[in-house]
Amino acid sequence: MNSRTTASRIARVALLLAVALCAKSGYAQTAPAVYAIQGAKITTLAGPVIESGTVVIRDGKIAAVGANVEIPAGAQIIDGKGLEVYPGMFDPITQMGLNEIGAVRATVDLDELGDYNPDVVAATAVNPASAHIPVTRASGITEVIATPGIAGFDEQGGGLIPGQASAFSLAGWTMEEMQLNRSIAMVINWPSIDTRSFDFATFSVKEKSFSDAKKDYDKQIAELSDWLDRARHYAQAQSKGSAAAYERDLKLEALAPVVEGKLPVLVVAQSARDIRNAVEFCSRQNLKMILAGGDEAWKVKDLLKEKKISVILGPSERLPSQEDTPYDKPMTQPSELFAAGIPFAFSSFDTSFSRRLSQYAGTAVGYGLPHDEALKAVMLNAAQIFGLADKLGTIESGKLANLIVTDGDPLEIKTGVRYLFIRGQLTSTDNRHRQLYEEYRKRP
Amino acid sequence: MKNELRRAWLCAIPIVLLLVALAAWAHSARGEGGEPPYFAITNARIVPVSGPVIESGTVVIAKGLIQAVGASVTIPPEAWVIDGKGLTVYPGLIDTQTTIGLEQEGGDEAAPRAGGGRGRRSAPLSGEIIRDPEDRPSSTPWRIAADEIKTDDKRIESWRNAGFTTVLSAPEGGILPGQGSVIDLAGNRPGDYVVKSAATLQISLRPGGFFGFPDSLMGVIAYIRQVFDDVSWYQQADPIYQANMTKSARLRYDRTEQVVAAALQEKEIVLLPANNSVQILRGLRLADEWKIRAALYGGQEGYKVAAAIAAAKTPVLISLKWPERPKDADPDIPPSLRELRFRDLAPSTPAVFAKAGVKFAFYSDGLSGPKDIFKNLKKALDAGLAPDVALRALTLDAAGILGVGDRLGTIEPGKIANLVVADGDIFNDKTKVKHVFVDGHWFEVHEEASHDKPGDKKPMQSVDSVHAKTAGVSR
Amino acid sequence: MKSLMRISILAAAFAVAAIPSGAQDAKTILIENATIITVTHGNIEHASLLIRDGKIAAIGTDLKAPDGATVIDATGQFVMPGIIDCHSHIAIDGGVNEGGTSVSSMARIPDVLNPDDLDIYRDLAGGTTVANVLHGSANSIGGQTVVIKLRWGKPASELPFEGAMPGIKFALGENPKESNFSPPAGVSRRYPGTRLGVEETIRQAFIEAREYKKTWDDYNQRKAAGEQNLIPPRRDVQLDPLVEVLEGKRYVHAHCYRADEIVMLIRVAKEFGFKVRTFQHVLEGYKIADEIVASGAGGSTFSDWWAYKMEAYDAIPYNAALMTERGVVVSVNSDDAEEARHLNQEAAKSMKYGGLSANDAIKLVTLNPAIQLGIDNRVGSLDVGKDADIAIFNHDPLSVYAVVQKTLIDGQIYFDRQTDISGRAALEKEKQDLLDKEKKAADDQKKSDEKDKDKDKKPDQKKKPPKSGDSMEAGTVGGAL
Repeated sequence: MNSRTTASRIARVALLLAVALCAKSGYAQTAPAVYAIQGAKITTLAGPVIESGTVVIRDGKIAAVGANVEIPAGAQIIDGKGLEVYPGMFDPITQMGLNEIGAVRATVDLDELGDYNPDVVAATAVNPASAHIPVTRASGITEVIATPGIAGFDEQGGGLIPGQASAFSLAGWTMEEMQLNRSIAMVINWPSIDTRSFDFATFSVKEKSFSDAKKDYDKQIAELSDWLDRARHYAQAQSKGSAAAYERDLKLEALAPVVEGKLPVLVVAQSARDIRNAVEFCSRQNLKMILAGGDEAWKVKDLLKEKKISVILGPSERLPSQEDTPYDKPMTQPSELFAAGIPFAFSSFDTSFSRRLSQYAGTAVGYGLPHDEALKAVMLNAAQIFGLADKLGTIESGKLANLIVTDGDPLEIKTGVRYLFIRGQLTSTDNRHRQLYEEYRKRP
Repeated sequence: MKNELRRAWLCAIPIVLLLVALAAWAHSARGEGGEPPYFAITNARIVPVSGPVIESGTVVIAKGLIQAVGASVTIPPEAWVIDGKGLTVYPGLIDTQTTIGLEQEGGDEAAPRAGGGRGRRSAPLSGEIIRDPEDRPSSTPWRIAADEIKTDDKRIESWRNAGFTTVLSAPEGGILPGQGSVIDLAGNRPGDYVVKSAATLQISLRPGGFFGFPDSLMGVIAYIRQVFDDVSWYQQADPIYQANMTKSARLRYDRTEQVVAAALQEKEIVLLPANNSVQILRGLRLADEWKIRAALYGGQEGYKVAAAIAAAKTPVLISLKWPERPKDADPDIPPSLRELRFRDLAPSTPAVFAKAGVKFAFYSDGLSGPKDIFKNLKKALDAGLAPDVALRALTLDAAGILGVGDRLGTIEPGKIANLVVADGDIFNDKTKVKHVFVDGHWFEVHEEASHDKPGDKKPMQSVDSVHAKTAGVSR
Repeated sequence: MKSLMRISILAAAFAVAAIPSGAQDAKTILIENATIITVTHGNIEHASLLIRDGKIAAIGTDLKAPDGATVIDATGQFVMPGIIDCHSHIAIDGGVNEGGTSVSSMARIPDVLNPDDLDIYRDLAGGTTVANVLHGSANSIGGQTVVIKLRWGKPASELPFEGAMPGIKFALGENPKESNFSPPAGVSRRYPGTRLGVEETIRQAFIEAREYKKTWDDYNQRKAAGEQNLIPPRRDVQLDPLVEVLEGKRYVHAHCYRADEIVMLIRVAKEFGFKVRTFQHVLEGYKIADEIVASGAGGSTFSDWWAYKMEAYDAIPYNAALMTERGVVVSVNSDDAEEARHLNQEAAKSMKYGGLSANDAIKLVTLNPAIQLGIDNRVGSLDVGKDADIAIFNHDPLSVYAVVQKTLIDGQIYFDRQTDISGRAALEKEKQDLLDKEKKAADDQKKSDEKDKDKDKKPDQKKKPPKSGDSMEAGTVGGAL
């Protein structure tokens, strides 16, 4: 056997040792910072699939990718034979780091008090040591957006403007190291016209007439409008006036980039009416809107197309919201949106279920979404929608090295992540679950 | 001087008479001034329900009962004769589930879920919650409507003017709210009204508890099952104890047990709520399991399961409050197809029942007044219910189900003189009711008094009919 | 009725799909040329399965369609036993929990089955054919449970799985002690408030059940001996099912999370001489798998739920595989109408987490839950003689891409994807027609109301009260009603 193979063998053993050591230590990333994944099938999402190629990672970034790429000296070589390389998956709506155990209030930092909290930023409270982070990245998700105020599986929804969402990679000692964009969108929970509501005081369902419910809704919209108007005036004063002339207002300050169209609003709206109302409102107010949820987006495709609204879909495995909606609508909707040319990405809307992202995408494929589009919708589209496409989402030289090396189709359930690169560092896939498994497996 | 006095007297007499006449007219009761209680309606078209229509005939009323009816009968000389030319005489109509005459429970319009009957919570103020079936949550079966009749209920006159002479009034609130009484809509004292004080044993399947037992449908059913088991036990145990007092520990006193046992002994019909087809089949099964003689009330999705109801020989009180689009509904959320079908087909239930051989009657279920009752009856007729079948459901069959079929519901000698006399077919919306007889008392109906203006009265809540607001609860 | 609509469309579809050779016999069906996943004796490729009178009549590679049989061409498709969901709350009317009292064993799920619950259909569309419909987890001892077949369109009386042992639900841990829920002010808390009291609630109930049983045994004995004038004991609907548990006539399905509470229940069951049939959720079952095996109980768990409650924080997706490795009969369940649409996918996760083989993974949602529910003589695998409860997928069911094409129960097609799709237009039309009809009726009513209002506005002369003997004019204005 030639020296190259021996070298690669030694490197592989060293690597495995390093990874094994990592498993013991608290932190999961190792130096050095130059790697080469060799002989793998590479899906770059920026060109044709490379049946057997190499990816070189250096200093946190993708240095080179191709069928025949020179491997720099000193690179840790990972034998990719039989394995597949993809951009890491991106879950753009989660409560990652903000919610440890839903039922234990002390561990939840999702909903600040009050309806209007535009000034709070998710990154402030994300706990980098959350057990959810290693668990989630072990399933191939390398970056997420944490959104305040968006309900997951085990929480209530938050206020109207619960705060700013933050994007970050799922590895690092501090948020400062992890974050990709501290303030990537302003979250808005679009108010619904609610004729039924649950009153916790009497523990019963209260019914309201439609006209009363509509009045309440109109009031909320008027209030939102008012906030935006005030923010406009504040922004004007900020840019043109003198700071000494007025008091600083953190909330209006936070809304300034929103009304200037610089910071997009991530609007959670599910029903056709809510989507329509939200789109029309944002259009009138000149806000840059991204639709979150969009359960009935299929009913308003033309509007979304016309206004160029992208959609961050919730789990494709959910029940239809109305009795007469076809049973498979949530599963077929992604393919419908694709056919209509509406950009969308998958998200979990959750934390403990974030690892099901690939399952949601795979199910959509079963119901008609082309496989390639599904891959894009979990790896690339969210980056494009949220303005991170220069950094992430494809395997191209110069981009951040958030990559996964899998033993098969990443959307398939059985597929495992063999190697994980986040911010260009080899990251262990060890996590709380694996540790408990290993521990109790050893019970005599 | 004397002439002036006499003239004064003479002037006074017409004034007095006028006053008397006005007073009488305002009450619209005729003949309450001590005249002999004999009436005859002549030359009228008579629909006895018990037999063929008599195109032109006479009905004789004597001392509260029908004395004679036929093409030509002897009219007692004491009788006040009313020319019925152009008029039709029907038996008085019967509304089989109301709260007429009963005080409306507090206007606590909070959620249907918490606290079954309005204003009635099982949790005592101390915060102690009922946890145990033996504490008999939400059970007041001893409440009898007849004991609580208030004669100033405006609905009495309003119903009567439309031709309803009789209603079943029942208490509301809780799982065993009490017993319904058959009342005729006229009298001086409350007791005068009552035809049968303990006619029905009411059951509601809505959890009455508030954070206590039971707080689910299955809990309510389990509770009722325990009650019937206890009643059986009591019926078995008590005679043994009474005969062998020195040999066994004495039995505890349980009012619910005793009252329900007595009611079943008297063969009171037990009313179970069931509106959609799932509830109906469930009601039939439970009635069979509990070996009770039951009638279902609600019944609006009966068109789906008529054969099963007929096979069980269970009568149904059909709610006339047909499911319809709520007034202030969300325009962007159309009803489900299931709900639309239900709304479309519910009024066909009576016709389907008639064809299948199900015995049924109607009740107003909180409709604001007779105008709406007849409007909704018309929907049933338009959906295929034959008018004579409809009439029988409103009269003889209603009486039969309530256990007063021997005394009410037809125009036959010996029956109580409850009649409605109208100037045409009673189901025609142009027809006006001219006279109503209740227990042989004559009421003339005047146009002004007959219109029930919508919005005058507080809208009645449904009487525990487990409505499918959507047809069937899915989650 | 939607179901009648579907069945009539199905019947029409059958008429079209059948081989035109004489009278149509919908009771004989040949599913042709598929990969048959038997579960008990391997996968058979390019094989067919013959159904007769609701049962599996034959499986093989060279079967021919008998005369009059309906042929389902399943070329390239996968045929597996219908999925069995061991933890379901579908088809329940009026509340999943009787939470008003600590021990709600008197409540019966069979009393409140709702066959019109659309989730039955939606779960069928995911290949699920049998569900263990359970009371909720609000009580240490909850209500009685029932196994049903998802016979969409049939009345409630035809849902229960004939002959399946009845069950009862227990719940341990956070839910029965209401730790994640506070009653409003002024309402006293329900016992127990801690895990300490959960055990005592169960023990106390069984002590009472034992005494209750004894009073009946004594009474029956004395009566049989000819004693007269005996007052029978009262029937207690709360204690009756607990006596059945003691007598082995009712399965106990215990919701549990933490290892210590599982061990506690094993101990309590032993104290009273009964066995727990299944531990449900049992998310820490992997920690005490041997104890579970020794107790004889099965474990019915989630694929990968975790961290929503404190007691779920140690949950791992390897739970099913690890327990299986140690010898526990394990099933993977849904506890959720949506999850029950893709239990095949959930089962597949145990191949990734813990390395179960494909067949062992499939067992998690077929044979194993059947064994746990005591119905494996009838369902859970494709064997001749078993019920024809079948799910047909277009891909390997353990693949994320697999979509259910048809679901059969007792040899009858209860779900057909093509029929569902082609039937949608007609349903939409029916809905629109009914909406239009309603609108027209409402508009007509408005018009006639306005007409009436106008009539009322006409000066109403005060009519003199008709004297007796007055004749009535025909055709009057204004309705008296």
